[in-house]
Amino acid sequence: MKAFFRFSPLFALILAGMTATTVAAQDWVHTGTNLGSERIRLAAADFKPVGGDPQTPALKAVFDATLYSDLANAGIFDLVSKSMAPQATPGSPQEINLGQWSAAPSNAAMVALGALSASNGRLSVYGWLEDARNTANPQVLAQQYNEQASQEMARTVAHRFADLIILRLGGGINGIAETKIYFVSSRTGTKEIWAMDYDGQNQHQVTHLGSVSISPRVSPDNTRIAFSSLSGQGWSIRMYSLELGRLVSFPAGTAGGSNLSPAWSGDGKKIAFSSSRSGDSEIWVADASGGNLHRVTSFKGPNVAPTWNPKTNAQLAWASGRTGLPQISTMDQDGANVQRMTDGGYAISPSWAPNGQFLTFSWNRKYGPGAPGGQDIYLMDISNLHWLQLTHESGSNDFPSWAPDGRHIVFERASGRHAEIWTMLADGTEQHQLTHSGNNYMPNWSWK
Amino acid sequence: MSVLIEGDEKLELELAKEPIAAPATGSLLLHGALAGGIVLYGMIGGFFHHNEWGSQGGGGSIQVSLVSSALPLPNDQPHNDNVLATEKPSQAPAPPAPKEKQAVDDNALAIQGKTQQQKQQQKQIKTPQRQMTPQPTNRAQYGEQAGSQMQRSTMAQGGSNGPAAVGSGDFASRFGWYVDGINRKMSTSWNKLEVDSRTPKGARVFLIFTIHRDGTPKDVQVDRSSGSPTLDRSCVRGAQRVDTFGGLPAAYNSSTLKVSYYCEY
Repeated sequence: MKAFFRFSPLFALILAGMTATTVAAQDWVHTGTNLGSERIRLAAADFKPVGGDPQTPALKAVFDATLYSDLANAGIFDLVSKSMAPQATPGSPQEINLGQWSAAPSNAAMVALGALSASNGRLSVYGWLEDARNTANPQVLAQQYNEQASQEMARTVAHRFADLIILRLGGGINGIAETKIYFVSSRTGTKEIWAMDYDGQNQHQVTHLGSVSISPRVSPDNTRIAFSSLSGQGWSIRMYSLELGRLVSFPAGTAGGSNLSPAWSGDGKKIAFSSSRSGDSEIWVADASGGNLHRVTSFKGPNVAPTWNPKTNAQLAWASGRTGLPQISTMDQDGANVQRMTDGGYAISPSWAPNGQFLTFSWNRKYGPGAPGGQDIYLMDISNLHWLQLTHESGSNDFPSWAPDGRHIVFERASGRHAEIWTMLADGTEQHQLTHSGNNYMPNWSWK
Repeated sequence: MSVLIEGDEKLELELAKEPIAAPATGSLLLHGALAGGIVLYGMIGGFFHHNEWGSQGGGGSIQVSLVSSALPLPNDQPHNDNVLATEKPSQAPAPPAPKEKQAVDDNALAIQGKTQQQKQQQKQIKTPQRQMTPQPTNRAQYGEQAGSQMQRSTMAQGGSNGPAAVGSGDFASRFGWYVDGINRKMSTSWNKLEVDSRTPKGARVFLIFTIHRDGTPKDVQVDRSSGSPTLDRSCVRGAQRVDTFGGLPAAYNSSTLKVSYYCEY
């Protein structure tokens, strides 16, 4: 079926070749629909160890495993299993026999390969990406890295190379291998803010307040975390500087009442949150410094969990209780043009996709006593309100948060009293558990 | 006597108060406890089950429809109405169709000559299939094949003999992966649901647009209309929805790339 369609671009490209010879300044490409929406068949060859430094094998093992898992997690590749790949470990484009890789059983369309060596405490990596089907001009990417020789750096270099491949083959969308996930964990006894790499590695504690801290939201420039914390005055919005390693002031978030669920605008200039200082919970917006505070909503019933449209920074979605059970609504940032998105059930925790086109949220569509069904993650196209259920019959799912590539969603899944952080592709496939110790809640994916 | 005594006892028994006090109080207490329990349950329930979200009557009809395929994820099985496309590879030349077995009448008497003929026919059918298994490399292949090694352009054969052959017009041969990327991005961005269902199948609209060095498409316009305004518009919208196709390859010298793209309904 796929090959059938490949014949049509062939003719189109013959045409392209004939017409384009007359154009000197720019090339023409003639192409069309139905020609290539399947996943790219990509092989990640084991990198070739160079030199006899005793550190090299360990670093190579970390590098190979990380590169493979990053590419497998990207969601756009059909990755060739290591057992299907040819035995050879080519260290450079001169050493690779592309025919070997493009033939069965690996059938690779693209091959990532390279060499890795450690010497004098430096790690040097050469990486290439080759188009296995274009034997005349195979090279797509060539990259060189020179960093300090450590396991951590080997992982980082693998992340960077994987991100470069994903950027090049994924249509200009940056990879997420170097992003972080912030979350709440109670594994030390109190609920504190924690951080981890996108693949669940390198989990470490960020705050040490000894109180209860929830709903972390990292700023778009990765310098600060806004979260809500229980103190003497009740729930207040607090700000933690990742650069200074301590709390910094955020005066707008400490007034009376419950101040919950902060949300950064995509430009990092504004923070929206819910506050009950005027009675009911309403949505308030302040500058990132804590000044210029003003109320946006004034509805009867609770209005919580705001999230900005990161594409326009001019719209907010939130969970509104003005019509009874909480429903997802959207409005302009001045409170005008309110639109209800969900038509029933119990819908909370919205998160707006980076491209501005989708909302994801937690929805119990048949909420009520004796009603079947659980709290699941849904995806909604805001232009036509069409939706898609992403999780099915597995625990209670809440707090979805978009990855910056718009392809991944991280969320909290609770079964019984036990909650863990999970990740999945934005179509609901490839669900993986990221945390395995203690209870972990409310994940938030960093912006870059 | 005994009868009298018995009668007295009977009388005493009849005159004596029936012991209803204890059961009555018990019953009263039980009812009291029940009523109290109900009141208490209501109070405690109201105290703890504080439903901030109002009544549960918010629901109405629920829309059942699916999200479009605009996620930046590849679609593993693209929608395809083409009856000619098959999942299984067909062989060329097609193997002869096995002749239908003639219905064998069990009651019929076997005629010696006929049964032998049938066996010979069966043998003849099998032989060409065995010959097919080592597939000749130079024959035409149709249908699905694993890992096509087809060149993306015929220009690759004459136009590029190494890194020095940087001429105009060989973009598709040098950067086939980028062309694949354009197709992939456009097929996720184009929403077929926007097209009027009365549009004839196979109708094509041809667009022209320019991709700049940073990968952004500009100047999207219809080159040749399909005759269906909705198809034309949906294809243009699909191209306009794309933020970037990814930066043009560094080895490509020009600053822009002209693309002619068709959407086929």
